[in-house]
Amino acid sequence: MTRDGATLVGRLISCKDASRAISQMQDGNVPFPLYLRIRLHLIWCEACKRFEQQMRFLHTAMRRYRQ
Amino acid sequence: MTEADFASRCNSHRGYLLRVAVLQLRDNDLAEDIVQDTLVAALQGAQGFSGRSSLKTWLTGILKHKIVDAIRRKTREPAFASLDEECQIEDFDALFDESGHWENPPADWGDPESQLSRAQFFDIMQFCLDKLPPNTARVFMMREVMELESNEICKELSITSTNLWVILYRARMALRQCLEQNWFAQAGRGT
Repeated sequence: MTRDGATLVGRLISCKDASRAISQMQDGNVPFPLYLRIRLHLIWCEACKRFEQQMRFLHTAMRRYRQ
Repeated sequence: MTEADFASRCNSHRGYLLRVAVLQLRDNDLAEDIVQDTLVAALQGAQGFSGRSSLKTWLTGILKHKIVDAIRRKTREPAFASLDEECQIEDFDALFDESGHWENPPADWGDPESQLSRAQFFDIMQFCLDKLPPNTARVFMMREVMELESNEICKELSITSTNLWVILYRARMALRQCLEQNWFAQAGRGT
């Protein structure tokens, strides 16, 4: 499912590019078309969905680290 | 609270302040000086501490200014350069196959938030932060601990926003991998 899903939208954006953009989204705005492609990618791709959740978690963990 | 109580409460955060300063300055002596300055400034400005934020957060705010000043002075020294090799985004390309799919997709971390109440988790986090390359750690700490905006970091370090994104991406990829290997993959955590 993961791989098939990723392949289906792979023409739009790869996991490699998605992972870069997901990180970039934490530091400022990404262009809207790119944002849409990421959101679409995340609907299908379990691996990147997990990656995105982990990036959010990392941010939360760093907030706790400094508190 | 007496002055002595306040001083000893401030001092109890010395270890944390020092770890944060070392990660950004990569110079133990300088970091010691900066933390000392921070604690002195904190005692002198004790009235400025309203108690609305935690003492640790307040001290981190003072440390932030001291570190930015130190970095400003330091970036004029040639030894501080060598940022280029940490701006290569290709290093993590090995995690993906030729078509851009994950070679080893991120593992299931279960309910990671539940780990945040465990002190050992932050020991592993510190271990992972200490393993980052110098400039990568510096930039990541400026962003996530000092909470500087992207454009401020670019300005202080004289780097482009593309460089900044690449370095932060590298930091997050490395930390993600390190936490997965050293914490979440251990028995009983994550999956």
